[in-house]
Amino acid sequence: MKHAWSSLVFATMIVVMPAAASASGGGAHLEEANISLDQETLRKGLEVFTDVCMGCHSAKYVTYRGLMDYPEIGLTREQVDELRGDKALLSGLLTELTPEDAAEFYGKAPPDLSVIAPGRRGGGDYIYSLLIGYDHDPKGEIEDGNYNKAFPGNRTAMPDPLAWLDHDPEETADLEEQARAVSSFLVFIGDPHQLERKAIGRWVMGFLVLLTLVLYLLKREVWKDIKKH
Amino acid sequence: MIDKLMNTAVFKWIDDRSNIGSIIREHVTEYPTPRNLNYMWNFGSLAITVLVLQILTGIFLAMYYKPSAAMTIGGYTVAFDSVERIMRDVNFGWLIRYMHAVGASAFFVVVYMHMGRGLYYGSYKNPRELLWIIGVVILLIMQGAAFFGYLLPWGQMSFWGAVVITNLFGAIPVLGDFIGQLLVGGFAVGDPTLNRFFSLHYLFPLLLAAIVGGHIHALHVVHSNNPEGIDIDHDKETIPFHPYYTIKDAFGVCVFLLAYCYFVFYNPSAGGYFIEVDNYVPANNLQTPAHIAPVWYLTPWYTILRSFESKLLGVIMMGASLAILFVLPFLDRSKVRSARYRPVYRQMVILFFVAVLTLGYCGHASATPVLKVVGQIATAVYFGFFLLLPFVHKFEKTKPEPEGI
Repeated sequence: MKHAWSSLVFATMIVVMPAAASASGGGAHLEEANISLDQETLRKGLEVFTDVCMGCHSAKYVTYRGLMDYPEIGLTREQVDELRGDKALLSGLLTELTPEDAAEFYGKAPPDLSVIAPGRRGGGDYIYSLLIGYDHDPKGEIEDGNYNKAFPGNRTAMPDPLAWLDHDPEETADLEEQARAVSSFLVFIGDPHQLERKAIGRWVMGFLVLLTLVLYLLKREVWKDIKKH
Repeated sequence: MIDKLMNTAVFKWIDDRSNIGSIIREHVTEYPTPRNLNYMWNFGSLAITVLVLQILTGIFLAMYYKPSAAMTIGGYTVAFDSVERIMRDVNFGWLIRYMHAVGASAFFVVVYMHMGRGLYYGSYKNPRELLWIIGVVILLIMQGAAFFGYLLPWGQMSFWGAVVITNLFGAIPVLGDFIGQLLVGGFAVGDPTLNRFFSLHYLFPLLLAAIVGGHIHALHVVHSNNPEGIDIDHDKETIPFHPYYTIKDAFGVCVFLLAYCYFVFYNPSAGGYFIEVDNYVPANNLQTPAHIAPVWYLTPWYTILRSFESKLLGVIMMGASLAILFVLPFLDRSKVRSARYRPVYRQMVILFFVAVLTLGYCGHASATPVLKVVGQIATAVYFGFFLLLPFVHKFEKTKPEPEGI
């Protein structure tokens, strides 16, 4: 009974928190993207990003230099030079599309994609679902290319980048793989030190477990003469 | 080891001129502490730990952070860019920033547990009223510091949270608009707001550090309460702080760090609880997010605000819900401190904790008619606790307290 109230508080938090998370998530059902941050996927994702996404979108916080420096991508200087052309090594991955032209073509400027994964509920799964979410509007109100199952409100200004709508069934696996790779790439650049963070975390947690154990034993030793209550 | 240190010539030279030796003996090594404190008494030292972590990480963040809402390419601002530079390009910047962001939430977890302990065991009662009141001042300054800090990344939730909260001041009659404009530094949240919030965000922790000193001083005048809530014999029933509580607190800090580091290294946003998803979207004054909610530690008070139709009444009740904490020691007339020996109060305080958690949940979730009613009921329970308190001692049959601990 002594700790009944504190247990109650914790129990309530544990029950309430996931419930609150799902309540605030909302939106459409998302496909599972199977995000993976291995080098092969990330390089493929980078390729899709530079070939397709960068037609309209930038990732201004990711520099060409970064593509060499992040070991997860680890391009060589030659590969980067080929990719960047005459752009500076420290330049971000910037689109050639000006905001004015974008506004004229699509009605609004496409968002920068550097922090798009942490900035959307569902993260990588959301991006993946969006890319393979183009469909015909069952109500026939939204034009083909602007109707998307995963987009909140279903009307998106982004025209089907992977040409998913009415694609040849033989291409499904390839398109899904492209969507998965670019979603993984966007998850990676959203927080480029995430793998390093988790790797260091193992050592930190390991050390703390040992230290906690030692301090617990020390505490028990110091307290052994004090009357138990 | 401490004795050895205190016998050195250098220490004696300093001691002769500052009396530091007897201060250390009186307040640390030989400070008399009840021998029966349970682990709920660890949260004070945890709060100091987090405060130190927040100040240290904050100092380093301020070396790289730039408080400016000037636009850069892609709809971003200098402030948002500088946070992303910290996350990407500053050596271990990601670690420092995640420690600071997780630390903000950890601070409130620890302090709410600390206050809950005080409520349950009657630590706010005679002679510890002033100690409790100083603690409430600390809570208010913490909430202010957290609010100011949340604006700094200049994301959507930073911006719109600041718009909502600063607009509240407009509800105050006569002076409302003036106070709002003074806080915002103009007529709308913008660059001047960011600059003054940064200044205040740096000032408030310094105030905190000073007031925490006052809190500890007040504690050492009246001494710790204990789980039995009875006055104790200071010669026979206490043990020196060192080594008993230094080692117990060190163990507690380590357990805390395990949880803290789990979040820092593996789950720094905590699924939108510590860093909201919308705050990775740059602030845009033309686009209101679908759902504006404060971070979890402010949601109970946000729900109280939203529970009233009239904005002015909501603001008053939100203020009252915090202000009433100041008079808590004088509302409770029972001579018995610990809820262990107060069956009615025990039920009341547990219901109060459930009400606060419910208020927190309602403030975080999207507003629905059902949740609104739930929030209103929880608000009623919150205030009901304080309103009932002055009368409980008249009918409550307290259990006999033990003679000693």
